Amino acid sequence: MLRDIIKKEILDNITSPKFVFTFLLCAVLILLSVYTGVANYGAEKKEYTAAVALNKKNLESQPNYSSLAGIGIKVNKAPQVLGTVVTGIEEDVGRVAPVNIAADPNLIESKYGSNPVFAVFGSLDLMFIVKIVLSLFAILFTYDTIVGEKEKGTLKLALSNDVPRDRLILGKAIGGYISLLMPLLVPLVLSLIILLVAPNLALSGQDWGRLLLIFLMFFLYLSVFFSLGLFISARTSRSSTSFLILLFIWVVFVMVIPKVAVITAGQVRPIPSVHEITAKKDAFLQQVQVEGQKGIREWAVKNQPAKGEDPKVFQEKFRQYIQDYQQELTSKIDENNAALERDYQLRKKAQQNLAVNMSRISPASALTFGSMTLARTGVDEYDRFLAAVRSFKPIYTKWVNSKLGQSINFQTGQQSTIKIDDMPQFTLEPESLGKSLVRTLPDYVLMVIMIIIFFVGAYVSFLRYDVR
Amino acid sequence: MLEAIELTKRYEDGELALDGLSFKVEPGEIFCMFGANGAGKTTTINLFLNFIPPTSGTALIEGIDVAKDPLKAKKHVSFVSENVMLYGNFTAIQNLDYFSRLAGKRTLTKKDYAQVLGRVGLQKEAFDRRLKNFSKGMRQKLGIAIALVKDAPNVLLDEPTSGLDPQSGREFLEILVQMRDAGKSVFMSTHDIFRAKLMADRIGFMKKGKLVMMKTAGELAHDDLTELYIQYMEEKPAAAGAA
Repeated sequence: MLRDIIKKEILDNITSPKFVFTFLLCAVLILLSVYTGVANYGAEKKEYTAAVALNKKNLESQPNYSSLAGIGIKVNKAPQVLGTVVTGIEEDVGRVAPVNIAADPNLIESKYGSNPVFAVFGSLDLMFIVKIVLSLFAILFTYDTIVGEKEKGTLKLALSNDVPRDRLILGKAIGGYISLLMPLLVPLVLSLIILLVAPNLALSGQDWGRLLLIFLMFFLYLSVFFSLGLFISARTSRSSTSFLILLFIWVVFVMVIPKVAVITAGQVRPIPSVHEITAKKDAFLQQVQVEGQKGIREWAVKNQPAKGEDPKVFQEKFRQYIQDYQQELTSKIDENNAALERDYQLRKKAQQNLAVNMSRISPASALTFGSMTLARTGVDEYDRFLAAVRSFKPIYTKWVNSKLGQSINFQTGQQSTIKIDDMPQFTLEPESLGKSLVRTLPDYVLMVIMIIIFFVGAYVSFLRYDVR
Repeated sequence: MLEAIELTKRYEDGELALDGLSFKVEPGEIFCMFGANGAGKTTTINLFLNFIPPTSGTALIEGIDVAKDPLKAKKHVSFVSENVMLYGNFTAIQNLDYFSRLAGKRTLTKKDYAQVLGRVGLQKEAFDRRLKNFSKGMRQKLGIAIALVKDAPNVLLDEPTSGLDPQSGREFLEILVQMRDAGKSVFMSTHDIFRAKLMADRIGFMKKGKLVMMKTAGELAHDDLTELYIQYMEEKPAAAGAA
């Protein structure tokens, strides 16, 4: 009997115009999004490779270490291969982090920043399609599952037989879910094939694992809306009412909760603005520079070369002093900046965590954060990258300061040409799949809990449903 | 056999829909129940199908208490409702096949379905057509076919002739008579005085949840049923005391 109910449910759905419409729209949107994702990734990778080469060339072309220290270096953020399916915040936050002695590294030159027209339309990635379009389809497939049958009179007719209600709701749920997945599976499989054969994509085993986990999250997300639709359908007596309630909940889940959570977190845990922090850093830098100049003058007065002393000895002493003093001042600046930054980051993290945790009431937020973490295109990856660049900065400044000191010839005032072979290189160890999975576990758990709550709600409601 | 014993239903809002209703429909008998809208006819059927629980009293199908063992009781009853929409994306045969399977008939073939559909008067070219474009009469015929396929010893019909054209009405009447002749107990709630008089073995009048009059076909032979209907529905106060 269960098989008959499932079969009927699938047949009823796939012969409906909504199925054909869903199938066509899913196929077009999913394939288009993956295609554009692959094309974008290819372009970004090319751009990244070119930028890295250009940076290197630019460094090598610097006449001396002073000039190198002045312009600093640029650390380019490599595009993430899974950005093809979950763009995340990659296009908003910038792709380059300049590292120099004076300023604290930050990501600049975002895609949206350099071409704001992209920001107007946003990115059409697979996660967006699942979050917005497919969740609406899940509602479209379920809003009349129970109440629609009541209106048609088929529920009465079915239950006039010795059909247990639990079996009927189970059959309808399974059949309905299969019907919803059918228009998704074909384009999703085709998308996987595109990802597999695309020439400029090289997905590692771990990337495939991440991709499958992202797809699992997509299915769980759709299941939340599917079971919610089933639940509301079993709680209402008119399909129009059911649809309106579901639409309202959808707007709250997808639009309201994520925004309200961020605003509330901002109110509950306020943080100073970036400009405030920058002003503090600049003030300290200025103070150190003044102190530095004073220090040099004092040293020069105190360590005047004695008459008859070889000027080379003095120059050597002065060079050593400048090198050490420069390093000392830089360390001082770095320490102060690091302390400010640490405090700022801690407060920002606390605010972020509050916003994330509050917004997780919404499955849309859970999907957003979870899939971005798995694709390594989210806020946490951005923080990780920036933290790594900031840790790299003292290493670089130490190197460039030492080079500066060694390269100045005080007699001639000339500096030796630069060699960057021994320049420390920035590396970022990718986050392991296990770590990402641990961080997305709350999102999976929350979605599963919601599915269970809504399905049990639908099940219990249907057992008591007034079929008249 | 269908039997109602002191069947009472009071809804949560306090409305008394059925008030100590008792009747019996024997095998090989057609019982037609009349009553104005809201008299309790459909409530009676809903109680027999366990769609709502009784406040007190018992509804029995083949001696099985519906409230106590609904699934077992429902094995022995077919149901035809007033407005059968069925599944618009399915063909007549697909609809019939689904409900037959729910009724436990899994071995029927397309030929069997075609035979039943022919029996209820559905045109052959409509068998494989989607129900979307079916008229109300055609849907009603399909609803009757669904009841026929189940072949249960008891049949409950909730105003089944509303919307049927004269030809379909006549065919429907013939099918009900065939059912009776096959020994089935048929309970029909209706407003169709003309057809009821032609086929009913007994007729009951309900008013405000009570059975206010019950007569056999013989007793009605010389009565003007229309006159009687108007008289009972409009003038006589609700009172127990079925004839």
